[in-house]
Amino acid sequence: MKKVLTRSLLTWFLALVFFVGLGYFVVRLVTNASYWAQLPMNQHLSSNGLARAGAIYDRNGVVLAESVEGERVYNSDESVRKAVLHTVGDDSTAIATSVQSMYRNDLVGYSFLLGLGLPESFRSTKDITLTIDSQACAAVYNAMAANGYKGAAVVYNYNTGEIICKVSTPTYDPYSPPQIEEGDDTWEGVYLDKVISAAYPPGSTFKLVTAAAALEMINNSADRYLFCEGSSIIGGEYVTCVEPHDQIDMTMAMAYSCNIYFAELAVELGAPTMQSYADRFGFNQSFSMGNIDIKKSFYNVSKADDAGLAWSGVGQYTDMANPLHMAMISSAIANGGSPVMPYLIKDVSSVLNIGSLMAGKSGQSGKEMMKSSTANKLADMMRTTVRDHYGDSTFGEFHAAAKTGTAEVGDGTEDGWVVGFLTDEDCPLAFAVCIENGGFGISSAVPIARTAVEACAPVVRGY
Amino acid sequence: MSGFLGFALDLAVVILRIVIPILTVVIIALIYSSLRHNKRTERPLIMLWDESDGKAIPVLYWENSIGRSRLSDININDPAVSREHAVLLRRDDGWIVTDADSKTGVFVNGERISGRTHIYLNDKLKIGSCSFVIKRAEEFMGQTRRSWFFSVSGKNGVSQKLLLVLITVFQLLVTCEACLTEKALKTGLIDLQPFVYTVILACLMWGAFLVTSLVFKRVNFEIESLAFLLTSVGVVLSIHQASKQTIVQLIAATGGVVMFQFMIKFLDDPDRVTRYSKWIYIGSLGLLAINLIFGQTKYGAANWIVIGGISVQPSEIVKIGFIMVGAASLDQLQTKKNLFEFLVFSALCVGALALMGDFGTALIFFATFLLISFMRSGDFKTLILAVSSAVFASMIVLRFKPYILDRFDAWRHCFEEPYVWDTGYQQARTLIYCASGGLFGMGIGNGCCTSIAASESDIVIGVVCEEMGLIIAVAMAVAIGALVFYARAITTRSRSTFYSISACCAAGLLVIQLSLNIFGATDILPLTGVTFPFISAGGSSMLSCWALFAFIKAADERTYAIKKAGLFSSEDI
Repeated sequence: MKKVLTRSLLTWFLALVFFVGLGYFVVRLVTNASYWAQLPMNQHLSSNGLARAGAIYDRNGVVLAESVEGERVYNSDESVRKAVLHTVGDDSTAIATSVQSMYRNDLVGYSFLLGLGLPESFRSTKDITLTIDSQACAAVYNAMAANGYKGAAVVYNYNTGEIICKVSTPTYDPYSPPQIEEGDDTWEGVYLDKVISAAYPPGSTFKLVTAAAALEMINNSADRYLFCEGSSIIGGEYVTCVEPHDQIDMTMAMAYSCNIYFAELAVELGAPTMQSYADRFGFNQSFSMGNIDIKKSFYNVSKADDAGLAWSGVGQYTDMANPLHMAMISSAIANGGSPVMPYLIKDVSSVLNIGSLMAGKSGQSGKEMMKSSTANKLADMMRTTVRDHYGDSTFGEFHAAAKTGTAEVGDGTEDGWVVGFLTDEDCPLAFAVCIENGGFGISSAVPIARTAVEACAPVVRGY
Repeated sequence: MSGFLGFALDLAVVILRIVIPILTVVIIALIYSSLRHNKRTERPLIMLWDESDGKAIPVLYWENSIGRSRLSDININDPAVSREHAVLLRRDDGWIVTDADSKTGVFVNGERISGRTHIYLNDKLKIGSCSFVIKRAEEFMGQTRRSWFFSVSGKNGVSQKLLLVLITVFQLLVTCEACLTEKALKTGLIDLQPFVYTVILACLMWGAFLVTSLVFKRVNFEIESLAFLLTSVGVVLSIHQASKQTIVQLIAATGGVVMFQFMIKFLDDPDRVTRYSKWIYIGSLGLLAINLIFGQTKYGAANWIVIGGISVQPSEIVKIGFIMVGAASLDQLQTKKNLFEFLVFSALCVGALALMGDFGTALIFFATFLLISFMRSGDFKTLILAVSSAVFASMIVLRFKPYILDRFDAWRHCFEEPYVWDTGYQQARTLIYCASGGLFGMGIGNGCCTSIAASESDIVIGVVCEEMGLIIAVAMAVAIGALVFYARAITTRSRSTFYSISACCAAGLLVIQLSLNIFGATDILPLTGVTFPFISAGGSSMLSCWALFAFIKAADERTYAIKKAGLFSSEDI
């Protein structure tokens, strides 16, 4: 019988395989459960997945989405629906960064511990209140749609971090999602929230970074003059400006957006310094708002020659910038060097109220991007740019500090940018607008930015 | 329903959801604790007293190999003794010695024996040049073999009545939960019919217990308790699927209990099983042949036959015969090393099942065949040969019929298009609903998984996870998986290697089947469509599970202990 006992060890091998498999099943289930449970095939979430989900409100309690008798209902105004589509999301999870995609488990009250099926009294579907103002979003959307613009616009309060307006176009009505046929590019990028998930060549807006590096690394750099002839050979390649700027210092170079001035600076600073300043400004860094990851901005001159380095200093070469990240840079300049991190979720409420922990924290400061003296000098230059060059009327009644950009995309088109902030104390708004194929930033992006700050100002002023 | 009553019922549901998993874990822990405690201390049964040097060799087991091999149970270091010389067995009517084809023979009281020969106290047994006298064991205080499975503490195990009371409480709680469905809470119409089924099942359980303890005078009821616990889950989950199925389950459970008792009785004498083996071979092959000819296709496999409106799965019944003819007592293992008959039989079974398209069951048979043949021969070469020839055979089949593999295309891709609407449909839904259930489940009767094809059988794990939660599902799986450890721990305590082999193989078969069921439904293995023991709906499956449990029960010597209590002292020999 001893022999049989020894041989029966083979059954232990079977058991081992079984228990390892069972462990694998459990681990796989626990790690994937929240994803699997919210798949649209799950009949508990009914055909649209959100039949029993909590509501989404804007900052004023306006309903952006809610479930009424098993149907997902969106805001009654079509402009609002289209304006907040990328923020709120639709029935599907097509817009991956939307609240209805990223917070679906909270909305439907799912947690792996308790599953989906708590009785009515204990069900903890959560209502989410966002920081955005639906009317401000709609105003910006209407302005963009009137011009047929594709692009991104974001405005946030640089003291508190609340995102007040966030629009991405093209967009659609969640009640009638587009049937996109192959090769049809009118809908290109429609599922992308361009504020969160896009990156564009930053063009001249990147000069802020080059200027900051120069201000900190080169003595008296702000007062140095350069004679701009309209074009110059740097590293064997022509760098050109729109027109000759003659004798200019840094403030004027910023105001006139002189490419040669900043290209020369970039080369003088050298690739390692430029790289380290870009990194400090948040290029190549991951940022997120709650569950939502923000697309990384990109700056890499490790393999650049002098010409490349020169172009990188004026936001071309391989530079890419995310609109929300550019708004954060504005916020850092407005705040004396460190940005206030933007957030979108104002409040989460549920019956058991476990969820309020995950709501955004207001006024959270990000890592320092520059010295406060640098920030102040940049702020002055940006303010001068608007006041003396564009004219204060371009921003209506507001006193803006801004930098525009006109970025060559590479296919011959140019994206129009504006990034900046308001210096009015009762309107602490930072903004970034990028219009695809918009041409000059001053003519495409700035009017949208003006509409945006005009729509957002009453919100922060409280009237 | 609203207001205070509504809230109170909601609260009750939440409490039930938390209490039931805890109770399940407690019951399973108690069952195994009882299995660990209730065993006799192992002491020698008789002694072989060596006349020449006065040393005594203890005889520890019911079946003992005698030989020069160091792995023999009774090791005699004498060049005149063959490596495997003789077998000393104990049967109801006393001790028996058999010559295992030794070179120098076995002599009892000076006469060379052939075949099984009875020996009695003070008889002289000559093996090689050694001569032993059979003595009582009293003079010799034994060395108890230690085992990690059995508890060494002298504490008594759990009372079997307590176990049954707890299972009854479990049944009542799950039935309450089955009554308080979401729909019932919303409408206020609470249907109490599930209690009818529960009362029937509880009566069956207590009836079986009373008959076992009063009529058969068996003291232990753990294996049956486990079976009833699992059956309760299957029954309560079937109520909201199709109440007709619930009735089938209850009838099958009754049949299973009868089958179980019959098996215990039939297995009482392992030599009797050997005598019947020819008929078991013929019967099993006959059943499979009938199935091949008259088989009907359900879920892609033609493994059903319908007799008078009742559909039967013959392969489930053949499982029982398969283990019966596969297991053997020690003297048979020593004298008849040729596995040829069993090999051919296994090949026919596996082949027939593959022809029916029931690859899951074919795989179960094949794995069980490997287990049985290894436990009989201890030969890795046979194992490797069998596996490689099976792989070779399947490769040839696939070369000519490559479309067979199409059925398994969805494996590991069940969430991808187009599988998620096609061959991966069931697996994807199983995982989604497992996830929806969370740890504590959505409540019995609230699930959506029940609307998926084969949710009552092949993908029942999805229903268990969704409606009762992951804790219960894992506890059930572990409870069956741990039977392997129990079956192995009682190996040397069994009354014959026949029981050791059959118990280990039955436990092994259940684990293989459970693996295919759980891992197939959850896309860890290809979905082959086998049942979850006791929980999946199906009469044939229920019967065969009870029969497989009977093998494990029979291997526990306590099963036959009371009747033969006298044999524990060596008085009677």
